[in-house]
Amino acid sequence: MIRLAAAALLATAVAAPAWAGQRSAPTADCPQGVLTLSLLKPQNNPPTPVMIAAWEAANKCMKVELNEVPFGQLADKISVLAASGSPPDIVMFDGPNTQTYAAAGVLLPLDKYFPPGLKDDMVAATLTEHTYEGKVYSPGTQQASLALFYNADMLAPLGITPPRDLDHAWTWPEAVAAMQKCQKGEGDNVSVWGLAPSRFGNATPGFVYRDMLFLRTFGDPKAPPESSLYKTYWGISPDGKTAQGWLNTPEAVEGAKFFSDLFNTYKITPKAGIPNAFQDGKACFTIDVSYFVAGLVAANLPFKWGVTPLPYAKAPIVHTGSITLGVMAKSKNPDEAAKFVIDVSTGKIAEDYNRAARALPAMKSISAKMEELQVYPLNIFNEEVARWGHPRPPSSHFAQYDKVVTDALRDIAYGADPKTRLDAAARTVQPLLAR
Amino acid sequence: MRRLQHWGAVAIFVGPFLGMLLLFQYVPVLRMLWDSLWDFALLNPDKRSFVGLQNYIDMFDDPDRRQAFLVTFGFAVGVVCTVIPVSFLVAVYLNGQLPARAIVRTVVFLPVVTSAVVIATMWVFLFDPTNGLVNSAFALVGLPRMAFLTSKMQALPSIIFMMLWQQTGFATVLFLSGLQGIPGDLEDAARVDGCSAWQRLRHVVIPLLSRTTVFVVVIMTVFSLQAFAPALIMTGGGPEGTTNFIAFDIYELAFSLQQPGLASAESTVFMLLVLGISLAQMRLLRTRWNY
Amino acid sequence: MELLKKLGTLKKAGPWLAAAAVLVVILAVFLGPYAWIVASSFKPQAEIFRDLRPISWATFIPLHPTLENFIHLFVNRGVGRALINSAIVSSCQVGFTLILCSMAAYGLTRIRFRGANIVFAIVLMTFLLPIESLMVPLFIHVSNLGLQDTLVGVFIPWIASPFGLFMLRQAFEDLPRELDEAARIDGAGHFRIFWSIVLPNVRTTLATLALVTFLFSWNAFLWPLVVLQSPRNIVVQLAIAQSVSIGQLPNWGETFAGATIATVPLIVLFVFLQRYFVRGIAMTGMKG
Repeated sequence: MIRLAAAALLATAVAAPAWAGQRSAPTADCPQGVLTLSLLKPQNNPPTPVMIAAWEAANKCMKVELNEVPFGQLADKISVLAASGSPPDIVMFDGPNTQTYAAAGVLLPLDKYFPPGLKDDMVAATLTEHTYEGKVYSPGTQQASLALFYNADMLAPLGITPPRDLDHAWTWPEAVAAMQKCQKGEGDNVSVWGLAPSRFGNATPGFVYRDMLFLRTFGDPKAPPESSLYKTYWGISPDGKTAQGWLNTPEAVEGAKFFSDLFNTYKITPKAGIPNAFQDGKACFTIDVSYFVAGLVAANLPFKWGVTPLPYAKAPIVHTGSITLGVMAKSKNPDEAAKFVIDVSTGKIAEDYNRAARALPAMKSISAKMEELQVYPLNIFNEEVARWGHPRPPSSHFAQYDKVVTDALRDIAYGADPKTRLDAAARTVQPLLAR
Repeated sequence: MRRLQHWGAVAIFVGPFLGMLLLFQYVPVLRMLWDSLWDFALLNPDKRSFVGLQNYIDMFDDPDRRQAFLVTFGFAVGVVCTVIPVSFLVAVYLNGQLPARAIVRTVVFLPVVTSAVVIATMWVFLFDPTNGLVNSAFALVGLPRMAFLTSKMQALPSIIFMMLWQQTGFATVLFLSGLQGIPGDLEDAARVDGCSAWQRLRHVVIPLLSRTTVFVVVIMTVFSLQAFAPALIMTGGGPEGTTNFIAFDIYELAFSLQQPGLASAESTVFMLLVLGISLAQMRLLRTRWNY
Repeated sequence: MELLKKLGTLKKAGPWLAAAAVLVVILAVFLGPYAWIVASSFKPQAEIFRDLRPISWATFIPLHPTLENFIHLFVNRGVGRALINSAIVSSCQVGFTLILCSMAAYGLTRIRFRGANIVFAIVLMTFLLPIESLMVPLFIHVSNLGLQDTLVGVFIPWIASPFGLFMLRQAFEDLPRELDEAARIDGAGHFRIFWSIVLPNVRTTLATLALVTFLFSWNAFLWPLVVLQSPRNIVVQLAIAQSVSIGQLPNWGETFAGATIATVPLIVLFVFLQRYFVRGIAMTGMKG
């Protein structure tokens, strides 16, 4: 038995190398050995295998090893990893968390690695979001915004033609009317839902990126700065330290009530996730990003579909920002990791990715080359970013804000009282922001 | 020389165990007490400020924390109150001269050897409102479709039911060994005296099983208080915190909300409560029922 | 109570029907979920959904079985690696637990020394310590020791198992002392007595402890979740938990396949060694 244990211990020692950056023995082509960079990323998100293969082809002596987690577990994973002794070299994180991670010293500033002109090439929204105290932490892989996809074959017989330009965008009551009309079945026997369940975050309702828009659109950026209308639109104080009185204004509660009604009164969207509900013809509408277009095209669906701008209540708004690549401050291979991040976020690799994925580029130079951005359906996403786009509520504690608000919105979707629940969320998050 | 040998032997035999125990149980406990007095973030653990007992005050002030304790103890009560009668009945059933006893015992015990992760995974799909097996089974017998985990009222009972399913086998085995420990002549004597099966159960079997029962209560309480996987995998602690078990709350506080100091304070209180409850129950166990 | 009465009178030949009904209900409730999961792991998504409503035998039997889910798990999700890691962690934990606990149990029962009671009290204190309360400080502590994100870090905190010590101490106490005294007169030292007299006589207890430890180690979740990060070190329970995201899963079958793979080794072990499992469980019950 002791022999067995000893053998097992030996096996453990062999099988438990540190993850971060490993260099193999030298080979003929690589006198310094092959360096393996580790990369943590959410599943079904870039960098794609194509991008990594392209980079590895150009950098013969380097490899990238992936660790993929579901999107909903990404933020927790980064927190644990950052505290650990063996973080990955590169991480694909959600853009608005830049401040959180930068303030805690988790990410490496990348300015000194940037080639001349790169900073000027970054789209304004991206640059703002990825900057903390004057330093830039990521070039950005893509920009994104949400729009409303619809199943045209289901809407045509009902005589519904959604608008295709921002100036004629639907208001939410108009959109809800269309969704109600299109839904088939009710109660326990819905065969086609008006609106597909959210596939974002944990694939439960509430993800801030999508569902906080229901609150913010009930505000108004043109209202006086001390009014609750104005505060509703921003969701957090400009210094990122106050949520109390910004997150739970009367208008935000009205928005939350409307959000709740989608599930509990109109009953046009289910509370639990259904994979591929839109593609499988189980929902008339779905709210999704521009790269959803690529998926729909590739799936070669048996029905016609279209895109309409995201509906609004008082003021139109979409969230800008997307997931993006950064280098962990504790990486033992910062130079190589930074090279990877910059290489795949710019130039040919990024351009090929943006085109193939129908993603809005984070680089102006690439945007200029992609004429499809000016054409339906991508023009809708592109114009939304330009005209309606705002970052998610910026704060150096966004990660915590994100989690608390997501939980609150999920509960509201499940039927919690909007006011009580938003008040509770503001109370929970307030001390975290003020720290 | 002999003395040296004596203590040498003690050190060799007991030393490694004791060393590991101190290193991995006692040191972390001390660390927990120490950390509970500080405000810091795991993202940047070196930047910390001393806050004294503030974390404890914040914890008791915070309705979210209070709810986590309530939910967890409610869960434990729910599990104990369902597992005891069900597993007792199954044990009585298995103790009889019945066909397929061995098969039933094996089947009932399967969830005990299945991991909490697999069970939570299994049941989150079983409970799915749209495509779950439970709702399909309900439809078969004409029951309406239930929301289960997305309903504030049904989420905790659903998880209690899952726990009942998972732990029945364990408790049944304990009861069964208790039942088999009852001297046969006692029951025979009762039968000769003309007691019905029910009376024998009520006046002979149940009193003699009280020791086992207390033990099952202890085990089930401790298991329930430690619930974590259901919250992480099935509900994320919701809806409205109704399944926010303490272990999950600690995990979220420390890692998602970056408040390991507060999490340590909560851990400390949790540890003391669990120790207190277990010791009280064990004491009850030791002082009575020595038949 | 109605049911109870029925059960009580079962011995009279009559209500066999009731017994049969109880049997069917128990089997359906306990086996149904397993049957659904395992059957669905051999089906593509569309078929899983289609076979659910209404429930029929097709719900529990894959009519057109496919290994796609399993292949995808091993090729794209690295479940093979996770299984190997889990096997390494669990066997190490079993091995070291047996060594540490049996030696300590010997020390406490066969070597009379001052302070033995104190040692025992120290152990007793940790017996009921919920590991859930220790995760944060233990994580910081293990990181400081440089064991974070290693397989050693997964099992090493638990090898000094108070449960194991209690179990073995009891078995050692039950062993007649005449055995080792005879050996001592023959000039045997502690190691000889421990190795060739005591251990062989408590084989059943050792096997039981090994099984129970393996079970806990294989099924552990919270601690590996906290301490492990890299895909290279992933264990099987983490691999499953990582794939659960109902609304996003392109294929439920894949998660079901993972659950099946993670559970089968234990069920096989259990079915063959049921005696020891049940004994181990019952023993925890008898000794309190």
